Amino acid sequence: MSDEAMKTEIKLATTWFLAARTMAVADGNVPKVKEAAAGLYARAILELSEQVCVEAKQKHNIGDLRVEDCLASVRTLPRELGEKIMTGVMMIAYANREMHPLEVRWASMLASAIELSEEDFQRCCVGARVIATMLNPSSEESA
Amino acid sequence: MSGSSNFSFMDRYDKRVGRLAGQAERYVYTDPESCLFKLRLMVETMAKTLIELQSPHLVDSDLSTMLRALERSQMLSRSHADQMHAIRRDGNSAVHGDPTPAPTAMRRLHDAHRLSGWYCRTVKRGAKVDLEAFTPPPRAGQSDPTKGEGWKKGEALEKTIEEQRRQTREALLLFNEDENVDEVGEALVKELTSWDEIAIAAGEPLIDAEFVALVMAMDIEKLLEHPRFGVPSKEAHAQAEAQFDAVRNELEAKEFAYRDQRRKLAEGDLID
Repeated sequence: MSDEAMKTEIKLATTWFLAARTMAVADGNVPKVKEAAAGLYARAILELSEQVCVEAKQKHNIGDLRVEDCLASVRTLPRELGEKIMTGVMMIAYANREMHPLEVRWASMLASAIELSEEDFQRCCVGARVIATMLNPSSEESA
Repeated sequence: MSGSSNFSFMDRYDKRVGRLAGQAERYVYTDPESCLFKLRLMVETMAKTLIELQSPHLVDSDLSTMLRALERSQMLSRSHADQMHAIRRDGNSAVHGDPTPAPTAMRRLHDAHRLSGWYCRTVKRGAKVDLEAFTPPPRAGQSDPTKGEGWKKGEALEKTIEEQRRQTREALLLFNEDENVDEVGEALVKELTSWDEIAIAAGEPLIDAEFVALVMAMDIEKLLEHPRFGVPSKEAHAQAEAQFDAVRNELEAKEFAYRDQRRKLAEGDLID
């Protein structure tokens, strides 16, 4: 992979992990099921390599980034990738089958940044719901 | 007494765990599968003791559920959890008849030794445990097998596998091991809260929050009804509706508070 291609992949991975983290913490806790789902989604759906996923989470890549940077970054992504990120973020929101006002706000902001129509957003949510049914419920009991 | 050089200190804290470790140590060269079986049992015994302190209702769960619960409660650090999972995984393979090289058993024995010091300190709070460095147990009447070529090859293979596992795990996790998850999470929530306030004050973005909440509520209802989660339709509907109402009420309350604040400001201006 060329340096330029690697940079692009790392940027996508950083954007994904930032978007996923924001959704994962929006309800105030990060159960394991959300954590593992984010990485699996990066590998399987966004087709990011292990090396890229590891690199994206290094301090010099993600350390100083904020929610605002994530919104700016998703705006520059090709439409298809933007929708994949939206789907993944909703999958994380659905992991515990509960919704929290800040989760709703983050979904609304992200969907608007990607410039999704209401139909597009609903389509992403259907995909997210299907993936969320595959997440392991036994790994999230909060006792 | 457990009769082992690396684990004999455990007799003072947990005799049964110490005995299992001692047995594992004795089998490491002659019967690596039995060594791993004993180590797995040792980890299961440790997990049961710890889970009784933390979440007694899970004491009859399988080992991986107990380990995950201990990790979530932060009783188990990520590195200790990794060591316990490695023993669980290799112990399971051994039980199912997969041949185990002695270097693998030795690595897991070393992991068990690292875990044992922490375990004793956890079950006997305040105990001062002097954990001596791990030494490979001697093999009676034979030259040191760990110096042989075959052993070195096995060790190299184990290192490669562990490195691969470490990279896979790091790639999958949402946060790096050296990151302070609470701190990062707090900063993100704080920023998100500010954006929430901006959205209320400056108007909703393209896809408004109430629409998102409605779509989410419908999806949550369908998810709850899914055979995987098995909530009866009526109950699923009630749960989703309650969640939607709670979010909508909060959105309305924030909107009201903002308008109220604006009205008071305007009235203040008029008085001035």
